[in-house]
Amino acid sequence: MLPSRKLPYYRAMKTATLSPSNDARRGSLACVGMGMTLGSHLTPLARSHIEQADVVFAALSDGVVEMWLHRMHADVRSLQPYYQVGKSRMRTYRQWVDLMMTEVRAGKRVCGVFYGHPGIFAWSPHKVIEVARAEGFKAHMEPGISAEDCLYADLGIDPGRFGCQHFEASQLLFFERRIDPAGYLVLWQVGLVGDRSLARFETGPAYRQVLVDLLSRDYPLDHEVIIYRGATLPIEQPRIRRVALRDLPQVLLTTEETVVLPPAVALKPNLAIQQRLEALDKLDQAGALAGGERRPCHERLGGGGHGWQQALSVTTDDGCHDALSSCRTII
Amino acid sequence: MSDTIDLLEAIGRDASLRHASAEELSDMLAQAQASAALTSAAAHGDSSLLSAELGYIPMQTPQITQSPGHEEDEPAPDEEEAPNELPTPEQGNASLLH
Repeated sequence: MLPSRKLPYYRAMKTATLSPSNDARRGSLACVGMGMTLGSHLTPLARSHIEQADVVFAALSDGVVEMWLHRMHADVRSLQPYYQVGKSRMRTYRQWVDLMMTEVRAGKRVCGVFYGHPGIFAWSPHKVIEVARAEGFKAHMEPGISAEDCLYADLGIDPGRFGCQHFEASQLLFFERRIDPAGYLVLWQVGLVGDRSLARFETGPAYRQVLVDLLSRDYPLDHEVIIYRGATLPIEQPRIRRVALRDLPQVLLTTEETVVLPPAVALKPNLAIQQRLEALDKLDQAGALAGGERRPCHERLGGGGHGWQQALSVTTDDGCHDALSSCRTII
Repeated sequence: MSDTIDLLEAIGRDASLRHASAEELSDMLAQAQASAALTSAAAHGDSSLLSAELGYIPMQTPQITQSPGHEEDEPAPDEEEAPNELPTPEQGNASLLH
């Protein structure tokens, strides 16, 4: 059975079966991640998708990695030549989608191979899967180890500690976004920040100065920023540079480098919310939340069953009555 | 001489080699009869030195461009349809070398 067209593809994925497909003549699509480092990150399943495909399209970040991919399949078609200075990258990405879908419609098992993770900061893999599914073809995304994953490991950052925002740097300039300087801020594509044409592969110091001016609203100019590039070949080490924010415009920056701003301010306790949680804690300790905390208070109070009996019993206890009132507001 | 791509894959998948010092890696590559380019690149941690053997391979990486808010815009009718010097499948690896 084909996945529902009404669901986003990521919610309509089929579970795997052990029996081989009996519709081998029907086209299919898999978008897989190559990971970042040659030899280290390609998953067994992604490799299997590559090897079992009829045709492989490649959008990789390193030419040597692309040569490695050629060892895995006889028909690997690079998508790199579709990039051109002066040509909108969105046009390029639409062409990539068309190229892959042409082969899918011709009944081929198509594998799109993308550097890192195919679904992170990448338009075309999501789009081609959406199109394929809308036309009734099987389509699947297989995750890979992304540049973001490598960044956390190489820089020793846990995004859960203070929180972590990610933006394509240009999006931060084009739109009004809220930066939280209490968490990490990770900016991608700073090397071509501010390129409204989508037709350039680098901008320059004047454009990065606009970014710095924007960031200076939330960060001091002497705030240390990290410029990071992960290793794509296993003989390399990650490249990590640290500069003051004010110096970012003058630093040579490539498109594959990522800029990380560590937290600039301490986490500020939210006292109002903590008070509400304290009220809930009182209810919980009194047993008023047991078994009924997911239902509105009026349902628990008006309905039958053990939960509402507990809640009503709490209202006779002066110590917990206020807490129950708070509960009505909270839940 | 050993194949450079095979050696890179072997290094990438071996924990002791992937995180070996440049000196240790150079010794291993010498024993494996690696090319001079790979040995030099590993010794210096500089992959650009591989171009002496594999050629210069320019790659663009801005796949992550989100074109914020304009992803579904229709392309202008006069936009170019095909890339320059598209490689044919039979060109294989040679198409990568510029």
